[in-house]
Parts: sequence; structure tokens; C-alpha cells
Amino acid sequence: MSSTTIPKARRGSGSPLNRVIRRYGWLVPMIPGMAFLIAISVYPTLYSLNASFYRWNLAASARRSLTGFRNYELLLSDPSFWHSVVVTLVYVAFVVALELTIGLVLALLFFRRFPSDHFLRALLILPMVVAPVVVGLLWRYMLNPRFGIVSYLMSLVGLPRVDFLGDPALALPTLIVIDVWQWTPFTFLILLAALQGVPEDVIEAARIDGARSMRILFDHILPMIRYPVAVALVLRLLDAFRVYDIIYMTTRGGPIDATQTLSWQIYDLGFKSFDIGYAAAYSWLMLILVVAISTVALAILFRKTDFA
Amino acid sequence: MTEFRLTAPRRRVRWIRRVGVVAQVAGATLATLLFIAPILWMISTALKTGNQAFSATPQILVAPTFENFTHVFTASAFGSALTVSAFAATVSTLLALVIGAGVAYPLARRPGAVQQQVAFWILSLRILPPIVIIIPLFLLFRSVGLTGTVWSLIILYTFMNLPLTIWLLRGFFADLPVEIEEAAYVDGASKLRTFLDVTLPLTLPGAISTGLLAFIFAWNEFLFANVLTGASTRTAPVALTEFVNPVSIEWNNIMSAGTLVVLPVWIFALAVQRYLVRGMTMGAVK
Repeated sequence: MSSTTIPKARRGSGSPLNRVIRRYGWLVPMIPGMAFLIAISVYPTLYSLNASFYRWNLAASARRSLTGFRNYELLLSDPSFWHSVVVTLVYVAFVVALELTIGLVLALLFFRRFPSDHFLRALLILPMVVAPVVVGLLWRYMLNPRFGIVSYLMSLVGLPRVDFLGDPALALPTLIVIDVWQWTPFTFLILLAALQGVPEDVIEAARIDGARSMRILFDHILPMIRYPVAVALVLRLLDAFRVYDIIYMTTRGGPIDATQTLSWQIYDLGFKSFDIGYAAAYSWLMLILVVAISTVALAILFRKTDFA
Repeated sequence: MTEFRLTAPRRRVRWIRRVGVVAQVAGATLATLLFIAPILWMISTALKTGNQAFSATPQILVAPTFENFTHVFTASAFGSALTVSAFAATVSTLLALVIGAGVAYPLARRPGAVQQQVAFWILSLRILPPIVIIIPLFLLFRSVGLTGTVWSLIILYTFMNLPLTIWLLRGFFADLPVEIEEAAYVDGASKLRTFLDVTLPLTLPGAISTGLLAFIFAWNEFLFANVLTGASTRTAPVALTEFVNPVSIEWNNIMSAGTLVVLPVWIFALAVQRYLVRGMTMGAVK
């Protein structure tokens, strides 16, 4: 049997059905996965869109009634909505900026090989696989003003005991620090992999030109790794927007409303007030905000550096 | 480099470099310690008695006790919560791998403009915040009687992990030279046989790391589990919240339960270290 005759024999008859199978058969294995993805992403978003035009509270006795854009009007004139937009944006901005900066410093520290670097790197990645729920509880324990280790260490150097999570001015910065602790190892790993991909001769050539190391970093290396940097930035951005677990375990939106992020507000509206219509409108505004900001971030990152 | 060598005496350069390495090792060690200190504190608290855990002057661990671990298993339902977590994470991971491979393989083997669009649409699903989809899905699951069951979680975890498995498997399939498959195909194997006997064994290491990553994400998930599970189907992260009550917070027990949640995924993370960056960036950074 020669190899040319086998495919021909397998092709079978030229009936229309066989022809369809031959042409589109490769699509069949994709059906379950695609159906699943489409169903679970499209159904809830369209359901929310529809619900957002209704006055609909599961806790109220009144039946749901169509109100048009009323929910959106209420939201946009609701100071607590704008408050949580600001809280979320502050959180996201600081978390992303700090994690990228500290991640880069760490990556530069690990860039040149040294004895035991693989061992240290293996330890460094541990925080990011700790369940966020555990992270929240662990920090709540460490930050406890009465018996927490942080208060104790602060008192050793003469600082007063501070209730980090209970003070309205400190709660949000504290959550930012917790997020930075957990996710800097992630940006570190991405940036380290990126740095190790930069050809040695680029650095070498710049050095021969007499460039100082800071200049080499900003003028030559960073433009070369802008793609991994963009990936790290967008992934952290998307994750920071959805922060929920840590808040659930620590501040629950408080003290007062200091840590009312968008995710937390929607959770509150949906599962505590059962205000489905309002929560749906909220969800859509959040979705629009997330899509807009990640698009803008990507556009800026690539336009600014593309000529380099 | 050569410029420096010409200007500075060689011995001094070597000395400077040695100081540089020492500073580098010291800096890296210090940074690592800073990042794992909270974890060490968690594990040591898990091995302390209640009095030591609540002491106003934090105690350095002297005599470790495993009392907390036995307490967590015997006095609470945490053991069964760990079982639920393991079940939900394992089943959803296997589903995401099998269904994901079905999407990933054609995408890898029949590249084209439309396929690229499909792949990017799948990736863009990561933009969707979970809180945005959970309310409609909760109402849907409630109307069909799925709330409170572990199956509602399995459905959502499979969904959550599908973009990951599809993107990673697509990369692993694409890395496999098509000639290897063609050889088997020409030898008379059917397409399915070729996939099962040739493609799968060769991409198995990649598929296993993908699976371990998917498992980690499902194991750590909290929002869906918190909303959807009932008293008998709590996952470990949800069960953790039960050690926190208005009357008392049993920190030593929480820390040992937390250690139990974290330990298996650490082992997995260390096992897939090489693929960790690739996995967490959906294959965007290798």
C-alpha cells in the first residue's frame, strides 16, 4: 500500500453528508467548549442588561416593573457609587504601580545568577498561591492591635499600637499593602523571565557606548520588554478590579465606607439588599469601566513605546 | 565591559564584583525573607497553643503542638470541607482539560484569521469580573435547584478555567511538530487514534501542569463558593470563615486550617514552577 492511496480510500464516497463531515468535521470537538463558554458568559451579561432596566427587588413585595434608564440615573447621581469608583481606582492604581515597581526591582536583583537563587525564587512565589481568604485572615491576625505581631514590632521601636484595618484612613492603604505582598511575586516572575530574554549584547553594546546602568535600563531594556510588562499590568489590573475575598475577610467594606469597592458594593446590593435591578445596572457600569480602562492602558502602553 | 577593564586595575574590579555579588545575595535573601515572613508566622501559629497565639507579646515557637490540627478535624466539619474542595477542583479541572482540549486542538492545528478571533474572544473572557455574572447565575441555578450542590461550583470552575486550559493547551499542541502526527496518520491510524496515541502522550507534561494550575485556581476560589454552597457542600475557603464568629476568633485553629488549605497547592506550585509564568499569563509570557 502506498501512502497516496490510503487517504483516498479513507475519503469514502462523495455523498453530500460525507463531504460536510470532511469539511466541517474538525469543528465538532470544539462544540462543547464553545457552547459552554458562550452560555455562561453571554447569558448572565444579557440577563443583567435586561434586569438593569427594571425596578426589581427580591426582598420587596412589589412585582418587578420596567423603569427604563431609571437605575442608571439613580446610580450616576448616587454619591456612594462615585465613592466606590474612587476607592476602586485608588486601589487599582496603587496596587498595579507598586507591584510593577517592586517586581522590577526584585527582578533586577535576581537577574544575574547567584548561588541559591533558584531556592530563593521558589520561596518567593509562595505568597501568590495562598488562597486570598487565608491571606485576609492571616493579615487580620498579624495586624490585630492587641496581640498582632506587627503592633508588637512597632511598639519595640517606640511606635504606638495602630488599628490598621479599623482606622478609616488606614484601611485602604493596608489592603493595598496586603495585595502588594501577595502579588508582587507574580510581577517579579514575569519581569524576571522578560529580563532574561533580553539579548546580552544589547546590554553589552549600551555599556560600551558609555551608558550608565539606569540609562541602559530605561532607554534600552524597558522598551524591549514592554510586551511582558503590558501583560503583567493588564492581568494585575483586571484582578485588582475584582478584589473581594480579602475585603470579605478583613474590613467588609468598612470602617464606615473606606473600602467599599465596586465588587463589594455589587455583592452587598445583590446578596444583602436583594436589589437585583440596581445591582445589574451597577454591574454594567463596572464592566464598562473595566473594559475602558484596560483598553486605554494597553493603547497608551503600546503607542508610547512603539517607536522605541 | 572591556572599557572598564582597561581603565581600572584588575584586582580592584574583581573586588568590586565580589562585593556586588554579596550585596546581591544579601538583598535577595532579605527580600525573600520579607515575603515569606507572614507565611512562617502562619505555620508557627498553627503549631502553638491558644494562649501562645493570643499572647500580647508574640511568642517564638518552642514546643510545637499538633493539637490544633486534630481539633480542626475532629471538632469542626473542616475535613469534609476539604473533601468537597478536592472533589470540586478535581472534577472541574478534568472537565476543563477535556473540553478545553477539544477547542484547543483545532485552534492549534488549523490556524486562520477566524480561529485567531475566536482565541482572542476566549482570552477576553478574563475581563468579565466574577461579581458581574454571579447574581444572574445564582438566580438561574436557584430556579433549576442547583444552588447548594457541588455541581453548581463544578460548572462555574470549569467555565473559569476553560480560557486557561484552552490557551495553554493550544500552545502545547502548536509546539508539537505536525509531522509526527502525519506519520501516524499515514500509517493508517484514525484522527482520534492519532490524537490519543501520539499527540496526547507527547503533550502530557504540558497538560498535567495546565491541570495543576487549574486545580490551584479552583481550590482557592471563594466568591462563587461563598454564594452557591450550602451547609453540607462548603468548600475549605468558605469553611474557614466559620472559625470567625462574633464571640471568638480561634486564631490558632484558623491558622492550622489555613495551613491545610495552602499546603497542597504549594506542592503543586513548586511542581509546575517552570510553567507558572506561562500559566498565569495564559501563555503570553513563556
